[in-house]
Amino acid sequence: MSALRRLLLLAAASLAAPAPAMAAWTRAFAIEWYEPAMYYGAQSGVTEPGTDCPAGTNPEPDWIKVLTEAGYTREQALWLRNPANPTRSPVHGQNQMAFRGAGRANVYIDPTSTPDGGLVGVTGTIGEGLDLDGDPNTGFVGPAGERGVDNAFYRTLGCWKTFRGPPRLSSGALQNNDAMRDGAWTVVVVVSGRGDDPMNDDDVTVGFYPSGDKLVKDAMGGVAADYTFRIRPDRKLEALFKARSVNGRIQSSRAEEEVWLRDPGAARDLQLLKARIDLSLKPDGSLSGYVGGYRPWKPVYDGYVRARGPVIEALTWVRLPDVFYALRRNADYSPTGPTGEKTHISFALRVDAVPAFVVPPDAKGTARPISYKKQAPPSGQPDSTADRLPFNVVDGIVIPRGAKAVSQPDSALLPPSTTGAGGAQ
Amino acid sequence: MSLRFNRRSLLRGVLGGGAVALGIPTLDLFLDGHGQAWADGARLPVRFGTYFWGLGLTDTPAGGTRWVPKTTGPGYEITPELEALRPLRHKVSVLSGFRVIGDGRPNIVHWTGHASILSGVAPAVNNRMDAPSFDTRIADAIGGGTRFKVLDASASGKVVSYSTRTGAAFATPETTPLSLYTRLFGPGFQDPNNADWKPDPSIMLQQSVLSAVGDQRQALMASVGRADQQKLDQYFTAVREMENQLALGLERPEKCESCVVPGAPKSSIKGASVDVVNANTKAMARLLAMALACNQSRVFNFVHTPGASETYMAGASKIYHQITHDEPTDTRLGYQVETSRLAEQVMQGLGDFLAELDAIKEGDGTLLDRSLIMAFSDTGYAKIHSIENIPIFLAGGAGGRHKAGQHIAGKGDAVTRASLTAQMIAGAPAGEFGVGGMRTSRPIIELMA
Repeated sequence: MSALRRLLLLAAASLAAPAPAMAAWTRAFAIEWYEPAMYYGAQSGVTEPGTDCPAGTNPEPDWIKVLTEAGYTREQALWLRNPANPTRSPVHGQNQMAFRGAGRANVYIDPTSTPDGGLVGVTGTIGEGLDLDGDPNTGFVGPAGERGVDNAFYRTLGCWKTFRGPPRLSSGALQNNDAMRDGAWTVVVVVSGRGDDPMNDDDVTVGFYPSGDKLVKDAMGGVAADYTFRIRPDRKLEALFKARSVNGRIQSSRAEEEVWLRDPGAARDLQLLKARIDLSLKPDGSLSGYVGGYRPWKPVYDGYVRARGPVIEALTWVRLPDVFYALRRNADYSPTGPTGEKTHISFALRVDAVPAFVVPPDAKGTARPISYKKQAPPSGQPDSTADRLPFNVVDGIVIPRGAKAVSQPDSALLPPSTTGAGGAQ
Repeated sequence: MSLRFNRRSLLRGVLGGGAVALGIPTLDLFLDGHGQAWADGARLPVRFGTYFWGLGLTDTPAGGTRWVPKTTGPGYEITPELEALRPLRHKVSVLSGFRVIGDGRPNIVHWTGHASILSGVAPAVNNRMDAPSFDTRIADAIGGGTRFKVLDASASGKVVSYSTRTGAAFATPETTPLSLYTRLFGPGFQDPNNADWKPDPSIMLQQSVLSAVGDQRQALMASVGRADQQKLDQYFTAVREMENQLALGLERPEKCESCVVPGAPKSSIKGASVDVVNANTKAMARLLAMALACNQSRVFNFVHTPGASETYMAGASKIYHQITHDEPTDTRLGYQVETSRLAEQVMQGLGDFLAELDAIKEGDGTLLDRSLIMAFSDTGYAKIHSIENIPIFLAGGAGGRHKAGQHIAGKGDAVTRASLTAQMIAGAPAGEFGVGGMRTSRPIIELMA
């Protein structure tokens, strides 16, 4: 037998032999879009009626009426809303909108100083998300017919204009994701299993982490795949899930008591209790699905106040105190037990992620889905310059540094021609 | 006696026993066959201006648009939001599909877009640029020898200019037609066509006063920190320009065929409603155009409305900025109706502005034919502060250097390609522009003659 023939036979034998079992597998991703899972029940548009919101989106408040009901004269209300009023900032809105509570209290920080205006919520029966309480008789029916989908956040805010629209087309999701895609923050996902088949593995771990590396866009404006991201350890923002995969669908094998993610919204930090995932590995290598749990509802409200109450109210057609009342009314979970105060509300995120290379904080090797919290600097790191507001927000309104967020005197609430030298200047 | 005349010649003679000299207007004799250059080969001066308006034009999240023509190249069709440009479309090139590449820097809303176009780099922080705005390069290249190296004006009453040499300090614009008129044609203005010209002795005194502070100026620069040095540098640049103005005041101005000194505007209205802003735009355009024709300047920056535009329809309770964000897309029409209506009004300001430049005859063409105006905004789809598909226009023939009247689809290229093209057409010595992912040495050659 020639040496060449022996070599060929050896090669063939080595190919025919069973391959050694893989010790583990790892997949990594960068989130390219995520948004609250708000099932959309209309054919198109934002304001149109649908099965979710039969009356359509909550309409724009009549701000003149809102102000007059808060004790302002019609003349004052008209001037406060007049673009020519120099106290109405084209960027930050009219600060006086804050002071419409009893005794001109600031309704943003004291929402109960004004009556509940009644934010209309979702009345449809279909919802997206996860079964958080294990009870198929509570919650929505999923789009595919699954029962027990717990998403009271959607029930509460799903008819608010900022959240309503087809997937990836609501104004809030567009704005927040555009900021992320333009570099404001990055979230990476690391998935690994102990078996030999990522599609079917009983022991899967999934980790969500912040990264200091910015997303990169491709020539078509989408998020480019296969870029490298380094995990930025954070003492708070980290979410680890135990799961199993069946035919590529990765579902939690248990509820995680507490995880933290970067919120794709005004709250910024998202705590999830009893958290779960339902993610799918797609044939194109991407990852899509849901992450959910019970989130504290008060930071949701506070986030919108911090985002400048007059701006949020004007642009999203809502009275912020109504959001406060609605979240409080629909909260469905208490960490202290069934009889405790309902501080949390069921919630889910719709997540889409592209394949990426993710490395650990020391950039050595490939990241694994483990906790990196101990490597975080004690004081944490700011997300980015975009997360630091370039203006001074106090109690929901923008004022000069050192000033106080207080109501204007009555003498300043009418145009100068009406009040003479003492008018608004 | 030589009878060979050129554009610098004076007619000399004796009148009443005294010698007189009379300037000569721009005669065809002095021009080449196309009326675009002096017969001795030197081109007529090209003027350059930037024109900025806030809030872009109307796109939709699903990909629709109210402004991008479907066809590319010459003879593009007029879309609804380009209607105001229809009379001059053969002199206006439309640039769509260009974007900001931030290299990881976040989108600072209503700032990143135009800061990137002007400086070539996505800014790190709000209200600062990381490099000088490119109009200053052009001003340095073509703005010399005029009374104002660069002029800045703002039509909405706001003190807004995006022209900067340091990135930290910005030019101070005139904010009313009257103040612009006073600056251009008030004290210090010398009619270039005035045969009875004499140097003003008061100018010589002022010049000596300015020169005298030179040593102290250097001492002051050496004693302050970097931030203050930047401010002082910008300030002393303005001082140097004033010195230049004074020096020019001691020289007989060259005659300008098209220069007709305008009268003062009757009154100035400050206001942000779009009718007032457009009226101010038209009035200020007329003044700027005549300032160019009278050779007072060759470079200007004009701001119609700032980034987060506060303009509004007269009588409305919402401003444009708010409407771009809060107005839902009309399901049947597929776009934001009120937003688009305001965009059309805002574009009327640009149409009127360009028409004023085109109304002044120079040689065998118009002032616009010898100018290049780069008009641009801060955003593409304003509802989400997009920095993709930022609308950019190049208007005017630039003395034959700009092959105008085309639609160029950028297909995701960096906005700096447009900026570089403008610099090269306008005559600045630029071979490349921008930083990082926006660094480019590729002008849009389809637009360059």
